[in-house]
Amino acid sequence: MVVVRLDAMLKAFTSRSRFDSEAPTVQALLEELEREAPRLRFKLRDETGALRRYVRVFVDGEDVSQSAGLGRSLVGVRTVDILHSIAGG
Amino acid sequence: MPENRVRVLVGTRKGTYIVESDRRRRGWKVHPVAHAGWDVFHVTADPRAPGTLYAAVNSGFWGPIAYRSTDWGKKWKEIGTPLTPTKKERPSPFDRGDSPSPPRPVVNLWHFAAGHASEPKTLFVGVDPHMLFRSDDRGDSWQPVAGINEHPTKKQWNPGFGGPCLHTILIDPRDPRRMYVGISAAGTFRSDDAGEHFRPVNQRVHAPFLPQPYPEVGQCVHHVTLDPADPDTAYRQDHGGMYVNRHGMEGNWQRIGKVAGAPKDDFGFCVASAPQAPGRAFFVPLTGMARTTPSGGLQVWEWSEKSRRWRTLMSPKRFPGDFGVQREGISADALDPAGIYVGTTTGQLVVSPDTGRTWQLVPYQFPAIHSVEAVA
Repeated sequence: MVVVRLDAMLKAFTSRSRFDSEAPTVQALLEELEREAPRLRFKLRDETGALRRYVRVFVDGEDVSQSAGLGRSLVGVRTVDILHSIAGG
Repeated sequence: MPENRVRVLVGTRKGTYIVESDRRRRGWKVHPVAHAGWDVFHVTADPRAPGTLYAAVNSGFWGPIAYRSTDWGKKWKEIGTPLTPTKKERPSPFDRGDSPSPPRPVVNLWHFAAGHASEPKTLFVGVDPHMLFRSDDRGDSWQPVAGINEHPTKKQWNPGFGGPCLHTILIDPRDPRRMYVGISAAGTFRSDDAGEHFRPVNQRVHAPFLPQPYPEVGQCVHHVTLDPADPDTAYRQDHGGMYVNRHGMEGNWQRIGKVAGAPKDDFGFCVASAPQAPGRAFFVPLTGMARTTPSGGLQVWEWSEKSRRWRTLMSPKRFPGDFGVQREGISADALDPAGIYVGTTTGQLVVSPDTGRTWQLVPYQFPAIHSVEAVA
């Protein structure tokens, strides 16, 4: 069981900011989230499946967005944070 | 809604604005911003359904998102956003072009166009990368238009500085099957079978950045408009100059930007025409290097087909400065006399209610303006 925490920007799409998940990988977790909040589809990831530019996924504090990415196993993981980079101007 | 309203739909670097006046077009009300914070490349009105607008929103965080309003922009609803077909969905010829595998996602929505009056639910959108999509349910779902997306010349296309975008979509008001598209940097293409097939129509348009000066494709067209009184006449602002074609884009384009009396610079991004000013086209010349207005001020020039001559509609002394104006940065309304509207990349919206005789600045500092479209 992994605790998933979402940043404030995602409140526009889902009422939950924190929930528990049994998803085995980051990809499965994102798919679960997109099923629950269909408007999030293609907003965290584009249609090729890649994370959008400013989305960051942290697994137990480690940013896996650029490295292990969506295939990262969540077995034994305690927390996943889905955040957006501070950007703009 | 009273019929005497004039609205200007303004797409900016930081959202969508609806600017409103009466038919005199002297005082302007700016409604609260929508899509605040996001890049809005184009906002258009559907002439078949008064009050219906479409906005091409490109969010740095969420990606491209298409929106529709049915109440002149008071409320907006997210609709379908076109997606690059998956490899499974693509016929094999698709990959002979510039689409890498896995394909590049849709990066930006560039331009919406309502379909022909006889097809009231049809809508088109041009996107980066180099693609056209068609909807027959007012934007709820989209189908890629293979006739242009898989064009045999696609290997010869390149991105313009704004990316590989399909930014101009023109439907012949006399014939729903005839349409034109403009693509950077590929040029203009014509279809006579509702998009099943397209052929390049760029004859004698200069491509100064290519080894061959007058290629079949590869031109960096910036914007094109049809003459409302004669849809066989097209006015074109290209990277390679200002042009007119009088034969449905067939045969040679004439470079009017080089005739006697033309603006010193025939570079620019935008061009507009007006139903109540037939045979006339409005251009904003820019310097080729800086992409800003020459001679120290904003300028609008008019080309007349009747006299085959140019005249300036605005002295550079009227609004001094170095202005940028993008490809959707000029528009004209349908009133008599025609109103002309220019939006700048520094957020000025300049209006002429009398086809260029007088000009006023809308007293509101907008974010950088990508597009203006007048509805009246």
